[in-house]
Order: sequence, then structure tokens, then C-alpha cells
Amino acid sequence: MPTFEPVLLANVGKPDSHTLKVYEAAGGYQTLRRVLQEMAPKEVVDRIRASQLRGRGGAGFPTGLKWSFLPKDDPGPIYLCANADESEPGTFCNRVQMEHDPHQILEGIILACYATGASAAYIYLRYEYPLAYERLQQAVEECYRAGYLGRNILGSDMSLDIYIHRGAGAYICGEETGLIESIEGHRAWPRTKPPFPAVKGLFQRPTVVNNVETLACVKHILERGIEWFQSIGTPPDPSDPRDPGSFGPKVFSISGHVNRPGCVELPLGVPVRELIEQHAGGVWKGRKVKAVVPGGLSTGVLSAHELDTPLDFSGPCKAGCLGLGTGGVIVLDETYSMVDFLHNSCRFFAHESCGQCTPCREGTAWAYRIMQRIKAGRGRLVDLDLLEEIGNSIGIIPGSTICGLADGAAWPIKTTLAKFRDELEDYIRRTNPLGCRNPAPVEALPEWREHQSITGRKLLGAEATI
Amino acid sequence: MMEKVLTEGICKQIEACYPKYPTREAVILPALHLIQEAIGHVPPKAVEELAHLLGVPPARVQDTLSFYGFFAQDEPVGRTRIWVCRSLSCGARGGEELLEYLCQRLGVQPGQTTPDGRITLEVAECIGACDYAPAILAGRVLWKNMTKEKIDQMLETLP
Amino acid sequence: MATVIVDNREVELPEGVQLNCIQAAALAGVEIPHYCFHPGLSVVGSCRMCLVEIGKRDPQTGHITMFPKLQPACNTPAADGTVIVTQSEKVQQARAMVEEDLLLRHPIDCPICDKAGECRLQDYHFRYGQKERRAEILPFHSRRRDLGDVFLFVDRCVMCTRCVRFVREVAGTGELLVLARGAHEEIAVLPGYPLNNKLSGNVVDLCPVGALADKDFLYKQRVWFLRSHRSVCPHCAAGCSIWIDENQDHLWRIRPRENPHVNRWWICNDGRYGYHQVHDRRRLLGARRRTADGWEELDWAQAPLVVREALERAGRLAAVLSPFLTVEEAYLLALLVRRIDPEALLGLGPVPRMGQDERFPGGFTISAEKCPNRRGVEAVLSYFMKGRVLQFDELLGQLGPQGVRGLWITGGYKAPTPPVSHVLDQAIADRLEGLDLVIVQDLFPSPVAERAHYVLPGAAWAERDGAYVNCQDRLQSFRRAIRPPRGVLPEGWLLWQMHQRAGQFDAAAVLDEMAQQITYFAPAVYEIPEVGLDLKAGLLAATTAKTASELKG
Repeated sequence: MPTFEPVLLANVGKPDSHTLKVYEAAGGYQTLRRVLQEMAPKEVVDRIRASQLRGRGGAGFPTGLKWSFLPKDDPGPIYLCANADESEPGTFCNRVQMEHDPHQILEGIILACYATGASAAYIYLRYEYPLAYERLQQAVEECYRAGYLGRNILGSDMSLDIYIHRGAGAYICGEETGLIESIEGHRAWPRTKPPFPAVKGLFQRPTVVNNVETLACVKHILERGIEWFQSIGTPPDPSDPRDPGSFGPKVFSISGHVNRPGCVELPLGVPVRELIEQHAGGVWKGRKVKAVVPGGLSTGVLSAHELDTPLDFSGPCKAGCLGLGTGGVIVLDETYSMVDFLHNSCRFFAHESCGQCTPCREGTAWAYRIMQRIKAGRGRLVDLDLLEEIGNSIGIIPGSTICGLADGAAWPIKTTLAKFRDELEDYIRRTNPLGCRNPAPVEALPEWREHQSITGRKLLGAEATI
Repeated sequence: MMEKVLTEGICKQIEACYPKYPTREAVILPALHLIQEAIGHVPPKAVEELAHLLGVPPARVQDTLSFYGFFAQDEPVGRTRIWVCRSLSCGARGGEELLEYLCQRLGVQPGQTTPDGRITLEVAECIGACDYAPAILAGRVLWKNMTKEKIDQMLETLP
Repeated sequence: MATVIVDNREVELPEGVQLNCIQAAALAGVEIPHYCFHPGLSVVGSCRMCLVEIGKRDPQTGHITMFPKLQPACNTPAADGTVIVTQSEKVQQARAMVEEDLLLRHPIDCPICDKAGECRLQDYHFRYGQKERRAEILPFHSRRRDLGDVFLFVDRCVMCTRCVRFVREVAGTGELLVLARGAHEEIAVLPGYPLNNKLSGNVVDLCPVGALADKDFLYKQRVWFLRSHRSVCPHCAAGCSIWIDENQDHLWRIRPRENPHVNRWWICNDGRYGYHQVHDRRRLLGARRRTADGWEELDWAQAPLVVREALERAGRLAAVLSPFLTVEEAYLLALLVRRIDPEALLGLGPVPRMGQDERFPGGFTISAEKCPNRRGVEAVLSYFMKGRVLQFDELLGQLGPQGVRGLWITGGYKAPTPPVSHVLDQAIADRLEGLDLVIVQDLFPSPVAERAHYVLPGAAWAERDGAYVNCQDRLQSFRRAIRPPRGVLPEGWLLWQMHQRAGQFDAAAVLDEMAQQITYFAPAVYEIPEVGLDLKAGLLAATTAKTASELKG
């Protein structure tokens, strides 16, 4: 394998890397200039399609294919949404890129808009990234001044406006139709599909939603070519005709119990062990690994025996996980309790369930209540069966929900029960040795004080009963 | 005539968002941010006035507002809003203990504001700063690799 | 012809409409349970109760490929070769899961819930739920929230959002909202902006569970004691199809009856709550006649004869046909008066109007004309008056020493609500001064009735048989839902007896006769469908046929 040269994070660490000056000095916007002169939009789509670039946001859907779903000869407007609502626990790849190299993302967006014919792009940025917001905004302003945005970009026919739309603390806005609903000013309830966004998306118009890292990859593919892109990563598995392979570089974010948490760009397919030991300084305090979340909380966990799993789109699946996810690797050391892990995970998904589909709204909240009870030492062994049943039945994979949030909730439950059931059983036996049924049932809803204060429920006043 | 919650200045800022979106409904979220920023919360009266300004039913604004965990409604938030992350990466490195410590230090529960109106304590699900776990977002400033000592330090610097 | 396969049965799809799999399965008689789907609202696919297995049959090979995942039937269009499997183990498990989920936090207060007996949560749980409750969760108290026009029992809600979509899409008023997120969600209104619109009552019908309760109906009746009757709303010219729910001759509830040609799935609050006047204490009861000493009771058994004799003595006659009469009653009255006096004048009663037609974004319209049958009565008048429809004022103008001596006025107008008086007011009564005979047949006392020689209490619409023609020329028949109170003889019954026809009043026979006689009613010769009959189309056909025969001739 030739030595790997990072491109996505190449500018990170340079002084003032977020400014147009530094970006241009490193050859920035040359690709845009060249593509506008030399390539027709359709050629760009074809090239991205041929590169087999897959979405970096979590689902791994082929980007070029997604673009090709747009209706032909649509009179417009077509919209592009750049998904920067990175909220998956353990994931901060996009943040680093946006803070340190916003122009790379903008160039990717402009190129993608050229390819798809989009006349406006919305960057959906989560509120928790104030620095990224500041830098992106600056970068957009710089682009307008330099003629990379606005009317007749670089003298071509292309016109484009980029708007930054800020979220307000809802994980579900990272789901593409939830994101669209949120931009439209509604609660971010994902839409039932079909129609898909490519046909009827933002403001009822054809829309493409791509992760910002995907869009950055677009820029690099157009700059360096398909051969370069496909020389990196894992080629398709010949035994699986439906595997499009996992080509290209990927930014991995490593956190948890490691010595050097952070972002690192590596070829897809890097084994978990290499990532931890060579790029994150190993497990902290000289401890051993107990479990690793391979790609954001929703992908589930790998056990210590599965550290040779390659982090490409299909690797974690083979180890029972949901997939590559976002590339957010969380390492848990041997002292960390899997009860705490599952409790934390169930709390997150119960808190973030948008509440639209019954199985997710009730299932995630129920799972959390069960975990609360187990953690409090009132669990029973049958609870694990119940948890497993919830884990197996909610989500888009069994088909019981509209979007994948419930799958994200289900996978940590399923994989923990599959790989660490002994530990959970031990805990239950230890804390509730007689297996007593809990005499006082749990409150119907956990107290979420933070919710009480913000939703305005107080405003509704006292309520009568019956 | 009662005084308006949305001052002319806020309305101007909201109107400046109109060209970004083809519909007025889409302005709801940016407008809510502007209001929250300006007056620290979005009281029902602001909801009414915003709805009136945008020409949408007030219920639509309230519906959107209440979905997101971000907007305070009953009372203004403190001068600084502290978000303590408790998701897995931070939680596994002591985020939950820090939250307890902060509750003790400030004498408030998550979602509450100190009586002097200085600080509002909030819990956050993943703030995307797992590389600096446990992390705390205080206003616009990210506090990294927090410990109890650093919390004390942070509290001193806050206005 | 497109066919779908539902649980191994082939069903043909009707042409020209796009059905989803819930609707297609219903054609095959297979129920796919659902909460959030409603044909009149946008599809959100969120309750997940309608999950089924879907497949596709290859038209060439006949080979069936099934989708690996469960699909929501509500968002799956039924097309040629669509295969729907509703009874597999996978489907049953999914349904049981949703049912279990929905009852996790439900108060299960069915004994005191208005919806009990017609609640989908109950019915589906009975059919598809599990036997055992596995959740160790303390149920909520059942909280009640006043939303304005209706109550919300917060904890009974299953978050199908039908009500929210209704106020946004159909009523266009958008008062309802979803509060918070996830399991904390609740339906609410913004304080100061209550649910208050003319279609608000529909949200109660839409609610598949007992969460939304009608303030008018709450705690009045157990639904299993109610009997439902098909009827037509008499409160405006739109003529919405309705269900009348009654128990022992007392109306308790009016609900919309689906009719794609008229009201689709909705009715307005005027129609929904207007039934109270049927049981109004002020109603006229007992026939009476004026004598020199004042009022004298008239035995209903003698009334047909006595009134007929009075008419025969009176000389020149006129009759006012109220737009509240059914077409049959109007016909019988016109026929009767003309038999006695072949030159009798026939005119249309006052047509109450209020403001403008109200149109809602979902297409629903409340007519400004606040009576059910102007079109039908006009058609009868036109037949008897040789194409002329004499308006009420014109008819009044012909009263007097040289003209009309005896007048029969029919009513059916709303009870007076001070300061608004009865439609047949003092000014009209004054103009009847000097007539030898005034017969008033009406629901409520009025200045005109005070002035009459004979007062014959009439029936409310729910007590009558007959048909109305709405403003779109749609004829809808209905049967009486309750018996009239003592002292009231429905108009049709009295007229039938005055015609000395045998047996009891038979509205269908009268309509049949009219269909033979009057071109406008010709299509009514066939049975009247539940959704009514478009007379305009019939009229068009008749005109075309006539023109064709003329051309031939």
C-alpha cells in the first residue's frame, strides 16, 4: 500500500487554515474553476457515480446514485442541503473540518450544486458548534466577495446562494427528511417515504441532502480523479455482488478511554486495533479494551475480541454492528460497566426520539425505564429478554419505524445483550439476588427536568382530572 | 396597549432572514434563535408576536419551538447557559459526576437558573466535543477536559 | 383491469382512483388496523399499526417477490399485482407490539371514557393485542385539558396527529399543536388561542381513541345504547350526509356520514349541535283552532277532515311551501291545494340566508342559505306553477279582498333566539290581516301562528321521512330517526291522510309518483343510493333525450 496522504484534514493545524487566503494558497477553488470551465454537470455526476463515493453521514448510500434520482429537466429550483447536524455521540469529524477548513466544504458544496443544478444550498449546522458557525459564516462571506458564490460564479452561468441554518438541539435533524422539515420551520418529524427528497424534498422541491464530509470528498475526487480515490480503501467483496466497496479516505474521530482522543484521516478499512494503538495512543491508564463503539453510538459495540474489524462500510456489520456509521469510535476500558453503557445509550435515544412512530417513541422510553430500574438494582433477568425483544422489533430494518433513529437505539441494546449478557446478568444477580419483582412500579415517565422548563407545559396551567 | 416583546430591532433582524427562505414558516427557527439570544427566552407573548409577524398560526410557532430542546419559555435563562455533556464519551470520563458537582455548587437542578440570574445549568446530549471529554459548553465557549478544579475556575470567569 | 392480491384473494381495483393498501384490502373485506391514516388527511405513516407484508407479482411469470421488511399499508399505493399479506406471524407480532406500546402509558380508564365501545385502542387490542401486561409502569392519572371547543384527555392520546392535521389542512385554522418531543409529546393549544372554528367538532370523530371529547356529548350516553340512523343535515343548503345517534326517541349526537359528493367526511358545528332544537321545550304541541272564545284543541284524528272542509269553504287558496319541507311533503301539499282549488297560488316560503358561503381550505363549504330544500321545493313549485317560482313576497302581494282568501303556511324554521325573532314575524302576520283562513304548520310559535285560524304542529327533520335536494341538485332520502313528540303529526302523515290515501304515509311511493310526473325528479324512479342522486345529471340526460327526439321528429 502506498503511503497515505491525508486530504480532508490536510489543512488542519496550519495557522489561519480557516481563511480564504490560506485555502487558496493551498490550491483552493482551482478545482471549481477548472470544473466550471471544462466539465458539464452531467459529467460531474457521472464521475462521482463512477468513483463509488458513499455517504459519510452514516448510511453509506452511494452519492452519485442519490444525485441521479433527481428528476431530469426539472424547471427548478432544486435545493441542496449540507448536513452538518453531527449529533451522533462520539462523532466530531465534521466539527473539526468545519472549524479548520470550512472552504473545503464550501467548494464541495458549490461543486455538488453545479452537478445537481441546485440554485440554493442550506448548511444545516447544529447549534452546539458556535465556532464552526462563526468560521463557516466568515467563509461564506469571503466566497461572496471573491465571486465563488452569488450570480455568475467565476463568469459562468452558474448562480448559487449558500445559507446557514442553525438547529436547536435535536438529534433527529440529522435524518435527511427531519432536516428538511426543520429547515421548513416545522418540528423535525421525518417524512414517510416515498416520495423521496430527490423528488419532493425541501419546500416540496427536488432536494439532495449530503453530509459535509461527503461534499468535501466530492471536491477531492474532482481534483485528484477516480483512480486516486479508488486506490484508497477497501475494494468490493467479490463474494457479495451487492457490495459497492468502501473507497476513499475517511475522517475517524476517536474518543473515550484513550490517551489521545481526536480526529484522524485514514483509508476506509483501517482495523480498530490500529486506530486505537497507533493513532490514539492506546487505552488510557494502561488498561485493556472492554468494548468499542465503531461508528457513533447507534452502531452498537464491538467486544475486545473483535478489534481486528476493519472500519469500512461492511466491516462492522460482519461483527454484528449496524455499520460504519459516522466513524465516531468510542473506546471503553475494562473498568467501565456495560450497564452504565446501556443506560447511557437508552437515555440518549429516549431523549432524542422525535416521538412520531409509536414503536420508537414508546420503545425507546420503555427501554430507558427498564435500564433505570436495572441500574437502580431492581432489575430482573426477564428484563433482558424484554430489552432484547424491544431491540429486535424497533427500527427501519424490521420496518417498524419511518427513520433509522430506532435502529440506532436498537443496535446498542442488541449488541450489548449479544456480547455482554453475562455481565448484565451478573449485575442483576448481584443487585437483586432474589429476583424480586419491583413492588413499586416505575413512574410512567422519567423526570426530565430540562424538558419541564422549556416546553412551556407550565403555561398550560393546572389541569382537571376527568 | 401592552408593550411589545419583540422590539423593532429584533423584528428588523427577523425580517432580514426573509430572503433566505421561500416560505415564512421557515423563518420560525432562525427567528426563535434571534429572540432567545436577545431576551433570553421565548415567552408566549413573543410566540404570538412572531406568529403575527410571519403570518402563521401561533400554534405552529409553539409546536416548532417546543420540539427543540433549546428554547426557554417560562423564564429567561441566566447570563450564561452551561451545557454539561453526559453522552457516552463524556459520561464515561466523568461527565455525570461533573453534573452532580455543578448542581451542588450552584444549588440548582438541570434546567434551572441560579437565583441571581447568573447561570442556567443544562444537560446536553453529545455536544460533539468528545475529543475533549468531559466537555462543557458555557455560552459560546467550549471548556475542555473538565475536572472539578477546572469547573471552579470556569465559574469564576463567568460574568 | 388492475388486481391486487389480499391474503390470497384477488380483488379488482376500481379505475380512476388511487387507493392505498388499507383501502384496497377493505375492498376485499380485510381490515388493516390503523390509527393515523385517514383518507381526508395527508399521510404521515407514523402509528405503524397498518404494517403489513407487501409483495409484487410479476405480470409475465406470476412469480411473487415479497419485500423483506414490513411496510405501512397507508403509504403503499395499491397497483396491479400488489400482494398484501395481513395475517402472517410477522404482521401479528408488529401489531401486538404497537398495541402494547400504546398501552404503556395509557390510563386504561375505559369505564369512564366516552369512546368506550367505539374505541380503536379497545377494538384493536381485543383483536391484535397480547394477553399479558409486561410493563411495570405506573399509569398516569387521566388528565383533562380544555382545548376550547373540545376537551382533551391528555393521557389517552396515541399521538396519531389526525386532529392537528385536520385543523391545518381542512379547517385551515391551525389551533392545535404538538408539544414537546418523544414520549413527552402532548396535544395542546397555545394559551389564548383555543380550538375555535366551525369545523372543530370533527376532531372528536377523527380521534381514534378517547382523547378528544365532545363537550356536548361528554358523559351523556354509553355509545352501545345508541342507534345510528342515516340522515341529511337540514341546517344549510349543502345538505351534509349525517348519522343521527339516538336512544329511545332522544337525539344525543350527530356525526358526519361519508359522502364523497357532498361533505366527504366532515360536518360543521352548526349541523352537529343544531339538533338541540328537536328537543326544545318551546315546540308547538297539539293541533288547535281559533274559535270566538279563543283556542280550542283539535283532535288529530279529526284534523284531516276539519282542515279540508275549512279549505273547501275558503274560496281562492294559496299555499306557502317552506324550504324545510321534504320534496314529498311539498308535492302532497301542492297537489292537495290544487285539488281543492285548481287556481290556487303556490309560493316559496322565506329562504333564510346568513352572510356568505363559508369555504374552508380542505374544500368543505357551509352554505349561506340556512335551509335544506329550496331547490327541491322550487322544482315542485315550478311543476305546479308552469315553470314559475313565486317568491314569498310576491305571494303576499296577492293576498287581499279580491284575491286569495285562504292561506296554508308551512314552516320548520329555527326557534326564535332573542333578539332575532322567528322568520314568520309580526310584519308578515300583519299582512295576513283580513284573510278568512290561515293555516300554520310549524315547529315553533311565531307571530304568524298567533294570527292563524288553525295551528298544526309539524315535525322536526329527524322525525320525518322524505328527501331533500341540496344546492348542488343532489337528492338525498332519509328515514325518520325518532318518533315525534306527542301532539305532533308529521307534515307528510297529515297530508297523506288529507289525500285520503290508504295506509301510512309512504314517502318512497310519493317520490316514485313525482319521478313519473316531474322531469326534474325523473332519475328518482330508481332506488336512491346512500350518497344521494344527482338530479342535474338526470336533467341533462332528459334535456338531451328531448332534443334528440325533437331533432328526429
